[in-house]
Amino acid sequence: MNAAPATILRQHLIDPEICIRCNTCEETCPVDAISHDSRNYVIDAAKCKLCYNCISPCPTGAIDSWRNMPADRAYPIAEQLLWDSLPGQIALDQGGTTGAGTEVGAGNTAGETPADVAQIAAASTAGQGGTAPPPWSAAHPYVNLYGIHQPAVATVSGNFRLTAEDASSDIRHIVLDFGNASFPVLEGQTIGILPPGLDANGKPHHVRLYSVASPREGERPKYNNLSLTVKRVTEDHEGKAAHGIGSNYLCDLKKGDKVNVVGPYGTSFLMPNHPGSHLLMICTGTGSAPMRAMTERRRRKFSAGESLGKQMLFFGARSSGELPYFGPLTKLPKEFIDINFGFSRVPGEPKRYVQDLLRERGEDVARLLKDENTYVYICGLKGMEKGVEEAFTALCQANGLDWNSLRPQMLQQGRYHVETY
Amino acid sequence: MSIDYSQKIPNNVHLNDNKTLQRALEHWQPEFINWWQDMGPDGSQNFDVYLRTAVSVDPSGWAHFDHVKMPDYRWGIFLNPAEEGRKVNFGAHKGEAAWQEVPGEYRSNLRRLIVTQGDTEPASVEQQRHLGLTCPSLYDMRNLFQVNVEEGRHLWAMVYLLHAYFGRDGREEAEALLERRSGDADNPRILGAFNERTPDWLSFFMFTYFTDRDGKYQLCSLAESGFDPLARTCKFMLTEEAHHMFVGESGVGRVIQRTCDVMNQLKTDDVAKIRAQGVIDLPTIQRYLNFHFSVTMDLFGADVSSNAATFYTTGLKGRYEETKQTDDHLLNDASYGVLEVNDGKLVTIQAPYLNAINEKLRDDYVVDAKAGIERWNKIIQKAGIPFTLSAPHKAFNRKIGPLSAAKISPTGQVVSEGEWTHQHLHWLPSAEDRAFVASLMGRVAEPGKFANWIAPPARGINNQPVDFAYVRFN
Amino acid sequence: MNSPEAVKPVITYDTSPAQYKHWSLACDGAIATLTLNINEDGGIKPGYKLKLNSYDLGVDMELHDALQRVRFEHPEVKTVIVTSGKDRIFCSGANIFMLGLSTHAWKVNFCKFTNETRNGIEDSSRYSGLKFLAACNGTTAGGGYELALACDEIILVDDRSSAVSLPEVPLLGVLPGTGGLTRVIDKRRVRRDHADIFCTLTEGIRSQRAKEWRLIDDYAKPQAFAEKVKARATELAAQSDRPADAKGIALTPLKRGIDEAGYHYETVDVTIDRAARRATLTVKAPAAAVQSKIDDIVAAGAAWWPLQMARELDDAILMLRTNDLDIGTWVLKTTGDATLALGADAVLDANRGHWFVRETIGMLRRTLARLDVTSRTLIALVERGSCFAGTLAELLFAADRGYMLALPDAPAEEGKVTLSAMNFGDYPMVNAQYRLAARFYGEEGPLGAVRAAIGQPQGADAALALGLVTATPDDLDWEDEIRIVLEERASLSPDALTGMEANLRFGPGETMETRVFGRLSAWQNWIFIRPNAVGEGGALKVFGSGNKAKFDWNRV
Repeated sequence: MNAAPATILRQHLIDPEICIRCNTCEETCPVDAISHDSRNYVIDAAKCKLCYNCISPCPTGAIDSWRNMPADRAYPIAEQLLWDSLPGQIALDQGGTTGAGTEVGAGNTAGETPADVAQIAAASTAGQGGTAPPPWSAAHPYVNLYGIHQPAVATVSGNFRLTAEDASSDIRHIVLDFGNASFPVLEGQTIGILPPGLDANGKPHHVRLYSVASPREGERPKYNNLSLTVKRVTEDHEGKAAHGIGSNYLCDLKKGDKVNVVGPYGTSFLMPNHPGSHLLMICTGTGSAPMRAMTERRRRKFSAGESLGKQMLFFGARSSGELPYFGPLTKLPKEFIDINFGFSRVPGEPKRYVQDLLRERGEDVARLLKDENTYVYICGLKGMEKGVEEAFTALCQANGLDWNSLRPQMLQQGRYHVETY
Repeated sequence: MSIDYSQKIPNNVHLNDNKTLQRALEHWQPEFINWWQDMGPDGSQNFDVYLRTAVSVDPSGWAHFDHVKMPDYRWGIFLNPAEEGRKVNFGAHKGEAAWQEVPGEYRSNLRRLIVTQGDTEPASVEQQRHLGLTCPSLYDMRNLFQVNVEEGRHLWAMVYLLHAYFGRDGREEAEALLERRSGDADNPRILGAFNERTPDWLSFFMFTYFTDRDGKYQLCSLAESGFDPLARTCKFMLTEEAHHMFVGESGVGRVIQRTCDVMNQLKTDDVAKIRAQGVIDLPTIQRYLNFHFSVTMDLFGADVSSNAATFYTTGLKGRYEETKQTDDHLLNDASYGVLEVNDGKLVTIQAPYLNAINEKLRDDYVVDAKAGIERWNKIIQKAGIPFTLSAPHKAFNRKIGPLSAAKISPTGQVVSEGEWTHQHLHWLPSAEDRAFVASLMGRVAEPGKFANWIAPPARGINNQPVDFAYVRFN
Repeated sequence: MNSPEAVKPVITYDTSPAQYKHWSLACDGAIATLTLNINEDGGIKPGYKLKLNSYDLGVDMELHDALQRVRFEHPEVKTVIVTSGKDRIFCSGANIFMLGLSTHAWKVNFCKFTNETRNGIEDSSRYSGLKFLAACNGTTAGGGYELALACDEIILVDDRSSAVSLPEVPLLGVLPGTGGLTRVIDKRRVRRDHADIFCTLTEGIRSQRAKEWRLIDDYAKPQAFAEKVKARATELAAQSDRPADAKGIALTPLKRGIDEAGYHYETVDVTIDRAARRATLTVKAPAAAVQSKIDDIVAAGAAWWPLQMARELDDAILMLRTNDLDIGTWVLKTTGDATLALGADAVLDANRGHWFVRETIGMLRRTLARLDVTSRTLIALVERGSCFAGTLAELLFAADRGYMLALPDAPAEEGKVTLSAMNFGDYPMVNAQYRLAARFYGEEGPLGAVRAAIGQPQGADAALALGLVTATPDDLDWEDEIRIVLEERASLSPDALTGMEANLRFGPGETMETRVFGRLSAWQNWIFIRPNAVGEGGALKVFGSGNKAKFDWNRV
């Protein structure tokens, strides 16, 4: 295992090439960790409390620079003051000791979350009002093991269409094999794909993020692989034609193709591991990926005869043909999982969305919400949050609960997770 | 009728409870919007611009990013939090509690300081209003607009002081700030430099680097004021002013970067060849630098000034980092070096420090401005090109004060009228230089695309990718 | 600078004939005799002897009081003879040693009061038919001659030694301080070359030539002197319209409270903010309708609101002027029921022919004129509950600026300004113009507009439109605006303000009084602080020491 050593410090630094020496950060810092001389602005690692107060006021972004360092080898101020540019990330010893490291290139290296990943992550969790802690019993996730400059190379070992041939959307189940490379993931984490080639400006494409759809031990247990649920993007949110660089690249992959993978990412949208914990999952479309990972994890345990809490799934799609994993899901035993499908485009039938399903099952949902071992996961298109929230509010009211007070409480306890895009 | 002012106008001055302010703003705010429609960025009112809005003064609240139409920008009123027990830190009132109200005695001087500062804010928006039409990228266009809305907010900040503390006179002055027009011969902006139109983007970057830095130093010295609301207002403005200097420093830096890239591709320093590639040669950049540096030198005012002495002694305007100076903060017997032309040479003479307060601020500024020029030089060095940009002498090309009578070269030599005439085109941008730079200006408005004469930035805004749609046209 | 006077015992103007140290007042039918017999040791301050009937402020306070007594307690008096109780000396003027010991401010305040008292003599002659005859029974020098000049006529004893003189220039290197130069030419029309000689002649001029040069009206040998004076006094009395058989009213002592906060009277209150160097004078309208029948009015006497208010306001002005030199700004306020104030005006107007009402209007006139020449910034504030109506509105017009609170949301609650007929001529300033006429430079347009507004309460907008007030901040601005006006004013040079205010208060048109207060005082003030007068070798300093003054001969 390539665990990040416990003594690793994520050291906060200022990029002297980008910094304009405006003094804003020094003014802002509540603990006087930032100082300057005539050359550079620097941060004292011993004083910095990682409060992030200085980040948004910085006009340049120079303040948003980080290096993972063994705690006892953090760059001292005296050294920072001499820099003309930021040193690269040193290679941390895989064993987690604090031995000598060597620099492995500048810029985004392993250990640091790429800016665009952080951006997407922040946007996707905005619906829950910021990052929530993971469930207390979640396993420790590994993150940022592979950076843009040193991605892991995976091999495609499978690419299957999940939606019916006549369905309007092409959603695929893609299996990536990591060979000898270690790429540990947990259910609910995401990985980044680097599409090959250059963009219109002649620069490499940005990272595309996908939720892992397989459980931690692999799509196939004992194999070093994982699966993704990818929808081919042919139009944008407004329905105009658009060609998704990442999704088309992935959907067109053939078995044996090589893929550059970075990550993994995500420390919050994780499943509980303690016995008796319940999962309440609500998703639409490819938002089913993390649900599939969690369900599969639980299914395997169920099959092994372990006693589990309840699983309840609300799944919305246009029609059954557009619903990824529809077939396998319908085959799951009722005593294992309580599945509720809602279809919005079935000719001759009224439109039913996940929020309608939630209302219909209000009493049961409320019973689950009352249980502090229940963990809620919502994943899908941005638009679904509002309807789900309204349904929660209504069903809570009908069952003697107050969603407005329950929600922040659940969020704080790591029991409410939203990931929308 | 009740308006929720804190919704419309983010603030930390209890606007909802302050009837005086509400009344003043009810009248002024629509006039401001009219002014923005008339004099704000040309043809841009319908764009969705990815702007930073301050919604509160704490670190989490003051950088809130979203696409907004500029006329809908939520210009707010923010003061840095009050410092418990703050004192007047210099001058005759040193040691007294800082004033929370305008001392009647200093009303007119304070008003003059605030109006002079406030007038520069809308002035620069007016100067720059045409630049959006020739932006080198969406990223730069967004930065321009961010600078513009923040100049607007700085106007709001000064108007707040006028409205809250200067009664009817203050309201009239606030209106006058919207009535003057940059470059209007009959109704000009107060300071000369703010009546020149900003003709091209290189000028814009130079302006935001050099001239907005003067703004920074003025704000820093006002942030030391014994009149606490002024000090707190200016402190908060400084955080925004930093963005303007970022635009300038990184903008010029990217122009230099692009030029160096082309020079290395062509393996030449031949100006004609470089220009033929549609990038701006380094000597031209040096001449622009000389021009903007010297124009800004004049903004600090006369070398020996009785006004500056009065403002200091009466506790209205301090020095840069006043509280970090180790002298007595009274300066009654101190002296400070100022330049004089004597016997055909520049010599430093000792003037009473109080009268030389402007010169002190100018010198502090020069140190700061030169440090940034050195950072530009690093780009050139990194490209392996033997060329060094430098700041001209502070006496070069002055139009205000006794030094304006002499002709002084960028290296500080007093030269004859004849030599000046002969040389000045090497020192300052010629009409031809300006025409060349102007010829490069053309609008590039596709996400991720940049004009040929400028390199893309190292990072996007707020961690967005460089090819993010910073401006959406509707 | 701190005022030394402010920390010393408070000086008051309280006195009565029984307490006089220097004057005596004898009434005999239509003729009263005021006799000056100065007690050498009775100076108001220590350090000098009042030799040779030379006076100080204390002496003049008694003269002022005596004049008031004649005006109000002795309506039957038609002529006042001013004479001396000492042999061969009428009066030798202000005491030189007192002047040498006094601060500049004290000298100026003293001169101002003596000038006002002498103006008061002429005022009573002009408006009340009270005639004054100076019976100069001995040397009449300097301020002594100036006192005589204030009287309607001067008779000098012709004893071969007694002369009238203004020896200030040759002897002291200063000017006569109470209108001497001005009255010699303006009032007595002495030809200017004669006046030039007279004013540089230490020993003065006697009998025949004095009369020829119009310096006196007549002279008489010592034996014939008393007779001549009596005869002339009787002739003068014939010109008077004062009543022969009226009974006076008693000028009871003022009820004045003095404490840390200021001076407190029944109809006037003065609060002093020493830190801000500011006093607030609040004048209260009558609490009930004033007595309107003559018998009731006279019975009320000193308690009749118009007189009581005038006396109290006059005293408040004098107290502040004498004791609170550093209180540079006076905020003028009024309070009470405007109908009652206007009612009082109506009674004054209707009964102006009666001697007591006439004297009361005179007292109001002189008191308001005292305000005009006060070297303090005057700011009037018209607020909720203010009563700037009729006579009380004169305070607003006397002020350098008047601010009026506007209440756009509740105009009914605004304090109002209301004019009465009394605002149109009854209270002339020392330039002989009434305040509204002076305010509008006699222009018929604005004056017609304000005259048309008589009796109609004017709110802020209307008052501003009529030009009655300077500015009308509303309730949101009021507090700050006024605070800043007052603070800003308090920060300016007190000397420059005194000069500026005096210049602006009196527009076109000069009178003898304005020349005394303006030109003469200005020159005198300048000369008083010049080294040639008060320097080590200055004439005023070396007087009496036997040393010769040393002058800086450069003309300025």
